[in-house]
Amino acid sequence: MGFCAVFILLSRAALRLHLGISGHVMFSMMFFLLIARGCVPRFFAATITGLFAGVAAMALGMGKGGPLLLIKFVLPALVVDICAMTLPFMFQSYLLCAFVAATAASTKFIDTYVMDRLVSMNPDIILQHAFLEAAPAVFFGVAGSLFVPPVIRRLKSYGVI
Amino acid sequence: MRIRLRQLFGFLRRFKDWPGTEHRRAGSIAVGAKLLGLMALSFLAFGSRTTTGLLWLTVINLALLLVFRYGFIFLRREIKVFLWQTAIIVSLYMLRFGWIDGFKQGAMISWQLSLAYMPGVIFIKTTPQPRIVETFSAVAPYRAAFVMATCFKFIPLILTEIRNIYEGQVFRGAKILRRDLLNPCNWPDLVFCLALPVIIRSMNLAGEITLAAKARNFGFKKKRTCWPGI
Repeated sequence: MGFCAVFILLSRAALRLHLGISGHVMFSMMFFLLIARGCVPRFFAATITGLFAGVAAMALGMGKGGPLLLIKFVLPALVVDICAMTLPFMFQSYLLCAFVAATAASTKFIDTYVMDRLVSMNPDIILQHAFLEAAPAVFFGVAGSLFVPPVIRRLKSYGVI
Repeated sequence: MRIRLRQLFGFLRRFKDWPGTEHRRAGSIAVGAKLLGLMALSFLAFGSRTTTGLLWLTVINLALLLVFRYGFIFLRREIKVFLWQTAIIVSLYMLRFGWIDGFKQGAMISWQLSLAYMPGVIFIKTTPQPRIVETFSAVAPYRAAFVMATCFKFIPLILTEIRNIYEGQVFRGAKILRRDLLNPCNWPDLVFCLALPVIIRSMNLAGEITLAAKARNFGFKKKRTCWPGI
């Protein structure tokens, strides 16, 4: 879990190019959160991974959300944990993984909404902005999650899990 | 007054005579305050939008490098990374926003990013692991603190592993070179030839670290103790 958190951070650091493509970080985040939950079948596995990554990202000064950065990591991880608890066989199905990743990535809407509220933006613009931020995040999250079932399968066949 | 001056000179002499190892230099500064201060510097780097602000932060970071005496090699390495990052970001911005505007914006962003990363790098390089564990233990359960500190400390090793596996897979013919990755059809190669072996290797590494920790009776006592370090 710790190393998954490190990988999230490393990929986040590698993808920090500010290309104007919002949500591309969600690709690696969803991939590694789902892998962490798939490898460690305990209830808070993904949440703890997200928490580690969030605290470490704060300590290393990555991201521009300050303490809100923690929400960005923990909320999707919590969704992954809850979904994994209710759908224990999700790691074998592409469709379920994509569904869970889409749900988890859509929490980007909440992050953006909260941050925009804090800077007292116009409510109409907040909704539009949050939607524009969340849509690519969902897209990239789903793309990242589609690699999870084959990777989990291979990890099982190698006997690592 | 004379006593105070003597104390001050004594302190400065001690400071001057600090030995060369990074552990001793960092050991004399409270790690918690150091972490908070460096975090604040990172946040300031993200928050500052003006050239003056960034200049001030650069001066502060350079002063910190002098204080921690983290020599020219460190600085040279950082400049190399900074230049590489600047080249990528500026070229992307120039492609998107035109020559002059793109250059200005790209240079500012990469300068800002380097200043935001610098404090974190200084913290990791100049603080021994037991001190990091101690600091985290004050605010988190000791197991979590141990995991975080271990993960921080193993980042360079993981990066070396990633590089080794990457080079090995390239020699075996995996299409994961930069020019190959421009084609999305080659992205699965990145996952199966690089990500998968790296995950397996890191799991083995985690197993080895766990074994080493168990061999040292980690978890035997509820209150974690830290070796004072060198």
